[in-house]
Amino acid sequence: MSRPRRLLCLAVVSALVTVALIAPASSQTTPTAKSGGVLNMMLREDLSQGFSIHETSTISTVWPAMPCLNNLVLFDPLKKTESVDTIIGELAEKWSWQDNYRNLVFFLRKNVKWHDGQPFTSRDVKFTFDMLREAPDAPAKLRINPRKDWYANVEAIETPDAYTAVFRLKRPQPSLLLMLASGYTPVYAAHVPPASYRTGCIGTGPFKVKEWRKGEFVEYVKNPDYFVKGRPYLDGLKYFVIVERGTRQAALQAGKLDVAFPGETSKTAAEQLKKAVPQLVVTPFSQNVSDNIIMNVKKPPFDNLKVRLAVSHGIDRRALIRAVHQGGAVIGAGLAPKPWGFWGIGEKDLLGLPGYGAKPAEEKALAKKLMAEAGFTPDKPLKVEIVTRAIAVYVDMASFVINELKQIGIEATLKQIETAQWHAMATRGDYQIGANLTGIGPDDPDANYYENYACGSPRNYSQYCNEEVMKLFDGQSQELDPKKRLALNVAIQRKLEADAARPILDWKIDYFTVWPHVKNMIPHQSIYNFGRMQEVWTDK
Amino acid sequence: MKTYLAQRLVIALLTLLGMSMVIFTLLRLAPGDIVDILFSTAGYVSPSEKQAIMKELGIDRPYWVQYVDWLRQIVTGDFGKSYRYDQPAWEIIRPLVPVTLELAALSIVFAVVIGVPTGVVSAVRQDTTLDYLLRVFSLAGLAMPSFWLGMVIILGLVTWFAWIPPLTYVSPGENFKLHAVQFLLPALAVGYRSSALIMRITRSSLLEVMREDYIRTAWAKGQRGRIVIWRHALKNAMLPVVTVIGIEFAFLIGGLVVTETVFNLPGVARFLVQAILWRDYPVVQNLVMFIAIVVILSNLFVDMLYGVLDPRVRYGS
Repeated sequence: MSRPRRLLCLAVVSALVTVALIAPASSQTTPTAKSGGVLNMMLREDLSQGFSIHETSTISTVWPAMPCLNNLVLFDPLKKTESVDTIIGELAEKWSWQDNYRNLVFFLRKNVKWHDGQPFTSRDVKFTFDMLREAPDAPAKLRINPRKDWYANVEAIETPDAYTAVFRLKRPQPSLLLMLASGYTPVYAAHVPPASYRTGCIGTGPFKVKEWRKGEFVEYVKNPDYFVKGRPYLDGLKYFVIVERGTRQAALQAGKLDVAFPGETSKTAAEQLKKAVPQLVVTPFSQNVSDNIIMNVKKPPFDNLKVRLAVSHGIDRRALIRAVHQGGAVIGAGLAPKPWGFWGIGEKDLLGLPGYGAKPAEEKALAKKLMAEAGFTPDKPLKVEIVTRAIAVYVDMASFVINELKQIGIEATLKQIETAQWHAMATRGDYQIGANLTGIGPDDPDANYYENYACGSPRNYSQYCNEEVMKLFDGQSQELDPKKRLALNVAIQRKLEADAARPILDWKIDYFTVWPHVKNMIPHQSIYNFGRMQEVWTDK
Repeated sequence: MKTYLAQRLVIALLTLLGMSMVIFTLLRLAPGDIVDILFSTAGYVSPSEKQAIMKELGIDRPYWVQYVDWLRQIVTGDFGKSYRYDQPAWEIIRPLVPVTLELAALSIVFAVVIGVPTGVVSAVRQDTTLDYLLRVFSLAGLAMPSFWLGMVIILGLVTWFAWIPPLTYVSPGENFKLHAVQFLLPALAVGYRSSALIMRITRSSLLEVMREDYIRTAWAKGQRGRIVIWRHALKNAMLPVVTVIGIEFAFLIGGLVVTETVFNLPGVARFLVQAILWRDYPVVQNLVMFIAIVVILSNLFVDMLYGVLDPRVRYGS
């Protein structure tokens, strides 16, 4: 063999050896994203308000409508944690806080088109948020506007040019950015009536609606003009409406569906699925939904703090988590605790609060003492009707609570309220005590407090109103130092529990289940914020 | 015959009118309305906004105005708009009808194909081991709810074959094989229960007929067993069986709720329940009227069939 040939052979062999050595290593790394494929997902009910996210608060709308729309900013779909550090631009290329957090300036992308070909401009931003905050000169009005309170601090929205939008605030509110990053906060097109989102969707999002067959499915196709180059990876999405839970689970198990519904999979269900199909990927994450007790503080006997505290002391949270959720929940106060949430109080710090003590017998003894002080004894027990929604997850929890209350001398009977009546009844305060579930969009104090504890809020079902606490809400809201804000929030949560404003029983964990070929589907700490599907791809 | 048909049609119209009043009233007696449901998905209630939406949907008007308006719409072939979907109610109802009709018809076919022969065999072999086995089989069908059987079928399929039927409606033109599979399984689950009823009616009716003199005469004349049973006895025993089949078919049109839900079939019954939960009055009212029409027509058909099966039956005033 001539020298050049020997050298060539040597080079080829070396190259082959190198490739052989490198290959196993690269196969262990994250595979490169692939384009194509359709992701099949489930819905437990049809879209309640079509694609009109702004007119609803249910995940049944937010989850299937998110792929059509975009926000100004969004919690990074690739990161589990939702915080100010994980916010990325969507329609806003960048943003800037100015005038000591009084002005929030968004610099908008210039290459964005609505699905009907119209250009996206700052006019759409002003249209959307003036409509949401119900500005006097707003060009349109929503039929139902559940999150108007989120924008109470917005004084004006200015659009100096077609690609700049300025949110002028009455006072500093760093949280506003987090609320704008929620799945609840898409930008609507100014050139179509808001009502049209109930029947169709003109968005800027990564997917366009192909067909919505009522009661059957929603089908999307890739938006070829999407402003993020190379996205979305998937060619389409299909959300099947499957009302029966057993059928949903069977469809996932059979591989007809690729992804479970957020907030749907209990620990037990996930264990069953894993047993049947070991390769399924289960990721526990916080639903940002709490079980809680609402007590009407305007009506006797729950206008008496001692009775409310007795109720709070009397319910063994840990037993509830074991019995009702089979371990699929964690204890916490007003906000989801770490590591499931960012702002909540950890188990160790909860020990001193009513009902969180490690010794249930002691808690119950204390509860009985409080009841006696309030004038209720075994001979003269308190008799109440506990209301709850006529949905299994509510009824299971309420039944447990009734048993717990019985042990402290409260004789409670269960009254199930149909969904059609539940919110009207709770808002009017036509009840004494109720077993309730509360879901929160972003894991942020402002989104929770102003909605569920603020004086006059229609979702403040217990009618709790404390001006001092309201000041604390405002104080934490405008606190710019993150550490100080966290400390303020711990204090607020402790105060709310001490006042038994709405005793929190637990925070539910979802065991989100997907097939292993589904990539980049990363559940966040709230079920409402990771449905965009822009980064999701399938390795089928 | 013509007079009889005319009479029946008049009665049918009166029945439908009565039915319309009942469903209209019952719907409004149920607590809550569409606006309450809309607010419940938003998690709050605003009385002023509620009033505005009620006005927009026309449900703030007096009940009698709403009722007359609905009747007027029916007469003009306009079935109103779905409150939930803001779309003509008929556009929503139309695709559901063939799904339910096909499922009900297929279930009845299964029921008859299984129920009649087993009923005959059971009667002919009365008090034998085979009779007992068939009776146990039929009792099991009666005792087993069809939705439970449906769920067992689905779980069995997913456990053993990692497969379940399609999740959305597949039309025969799209894929006939898949379409057949999609309907055969739920039809089998529903048909088994109905077959049990038909089997028991067939058995008892046939036993009764077989004790008649003319059957004894047929045996005495030395006619073959098959002819005695199938030609003489069964034909006369079929009147109550046909009645049951008619009633079962009519029942299935509105009674397939859980089966349609378990098999995720977009039929009338499943949609009706959703519409009731949403208080979507135009959809509910018109779907119920559709079911009522099917019930009336199937009863009429059964009555007409009596004349074919039993020449002694005469239709007249």
